[in-house]
Amino acid sequence: MLQYTIRRLIGMIPIIFLISVVVFTLAKLMPGDALSGKIDPLNSDPEYIEEMREKMGLNDPIPVQYVRWMSGVVQGDFGDSFIHKRPVMELIGDRLPNTIILGLSALVITYLLAFLMGRYSGRFAYSIGDYLISAFNYLALAIPSFVAALVAIYVFAINLGWVPASGSIGSGVEAGTLEYYLSKAKHTVLPAIVLGAMATAAYTQFLRNDMIESSRKDYVRTARAKGTKESAIYNKHILRNSIIPIVTLLGFDIANLFGGAIITETIFTYPGIGYLFVESVHARDYSVMMAITMMLTILTLIGNLVADLLYGLVDPRIRLS
Amino acid sequence: MEPSISQQTSPGLAEPVKPPKSQSPWALARRKFLRNKAAMISLVFLLLVCAMSILAEPLTMPVEETAKINLTQMSKEPSAEHYFGTDKSGRDVFARTLHGGKTSLLLAFSITSAVIALGTLVGATAGYFGGWVDNALMRFTDFMMNFPFLLFVIVLKSIFIESSTGTLIFVISVLSWTGTARLVRSKVMAEKENEYIMSAVSIGCSAPKTIFKHLLPNVMSTIIVQATITLAAMIVAETALSFLGFGVPMNIPTWGNMLQEARSPDVLTSKWWIWIPPAAVLTFTILSINFIGEGLKDAFNPKSNR
Repeated sequence: MLQYTIRRLIGMIPIIFLISVVVFTLAKLMPGDALSGKIDPLNSDPEYIEEMREKMGLNDPIPVQYVRWMSGVVQGDFGDSFIHKRPVMELIGDRLPNTIILGLSALVITYLLAFLMGRYSGRFAYSIGDYLISAFNYLALAIPSFVAALVAIYVFAINLGWVPASGSIGSGVEAGTLEYYLSKAKHTVLPAIVLGAMATAAYTQFLRNDMIESSRKDYVRTARAKGTKESAIYNKHILRNSIIPIVTLLGFDIANLFGGAIITETIFTYPGIGYLFVESVHARDYSVMMAITMMLTILTLIGNLVADLLYGLVDPRIRLS
Repeated sequence: MEPSISQQTSPGLAEPVKPPKSQSPWALARRKFLRNKAAMISLVFLLLVCAMSILAEPLTMPVEETAKINLTQMSKEPSAEHYFGTDKSGRDVFARTLHGGKTSLLLAFSITSAVIALGTLVGATAGYFGGWVDNALMRFTDFMMNFPFLLFVIVLKSIFIESSTGTLIFVISVLSWTGTARLVRSKVMAEKENEYIMSAVSIGCSAPKTIFKHLLPNVMSTIIVQATITLAAMIVAETALSFLGFGVPMNIPTWGNMLQEARSPDVLTSKWWIWIPPAAVLTFTILSINFIGEGLKDAFNPKSNR
């Protein structure tokens, strides 16, 4: 296991290298460069700009520039933001906690709901409750997340007024107080549900089908023959086997959540990484854009690795080699 | 097997009884699909949406008209004159929904065709030839899979600033063929072990001919199901991108562009008729495509007997 993990991590290095080449190439193709972030708007004298370009090494051959950029990236330096006039990493550091809170809440809600609904549907298959849950699932799988977000805001934030429609924290709330955490939770719950809706539906359906399939297996018949209570059969024997495949999907969730956050955060104007990304694209703030792109791509890689590892961990029949 | 048995049990007959013609897998699948209520209702709904979108101009007004800003007709509620009311610029929502459907569906169909063609080509080539070809193509596919879809579409779109819908089709297609390629490869690898492929090769069929004439028709059912799933995903991709402002240019009506109006709190709160129609049509279109996809999957599966 450890050996496999280490080998996979080493195998990721050339891929990360290739990805960095792609990201750098894209950055070079974009109009504007690192200088745009440092330039003094009051001094646009061409001679001065040329001098600055020379000083910053933007006239060097591309490979030289790549090596310089890459050595910065390895040290966690993605340059400065053009709009915010701050180091990119500082900017991302400000927003990252929000996205992580949102992502974790979405994960918890997804797994909790999928577990409860899937367990019910699997046990009482083809009952009215099961059909209702199935109908919800079909709808959740079909509705695009931005439409779901609009509907959720319209119903829960505007008409019912249960939660705020945007932002991540109420105004004038002091950090550290109970009020602060409550406000944070209130702002997060709606985007988190929307962000996790599709996965919730998929996992519910998955758990339900797996439980129905398991209930026809021999070990269940044996349990029944021994006189085990029906609730114990479902809660102990079947559920334990059926929950395994869902856990393995956690790795893919990580990457999907950050991708989905782009849409959800933008609609809820929730100040996280996704919203920052959209903002910086609109403002043509390339250094921020490229940093987020690079980060999320590497995160996808790690997510895939986690998925593979979990797969081997929960199912001993799969040998990782 | 049946024909020989029937001939043996009726030796007295002057003319051998013709064995009942067994149905082809396609006919079987069609019968199963036609009996699937959810899929059939969905198919009718989807065809209706497509037909109304195609006939958008005769049904309502030319597309140029829908772009005209009419200050006297701003934000009117639904009425006999404007079935779905008008938006904040006084444009008829019903006409825009139909025209938007035309753009959104056309885009989704184009992207799906490109994605399926590319994915099938890569997957079939890798699966059929195996060896280093397979290795190289699949490594490349795995590499492409690492790029988060939405992120890279947006990045690529911001490079091609003077972008048209053509760029959008290209950019999305380039980033989404990988799943199809993997699927087709695995199917082709299983299918090519059959003897009919070996006999095709041994009578001298060239590789392209073997692939297109013998292999692909037998993995077609998988490809069709994959195409339906892709179609639904591409409608979502296009509308989501347009909604965020990275898709189709704003002046062309699409469902995503129309929904963008709902980003203003005023429209979202008190002018429901501007955003509910495209949202509802969009959701139900995807729902129906999902049902059709499920129906097709079921129909092509010889083990299911619903």
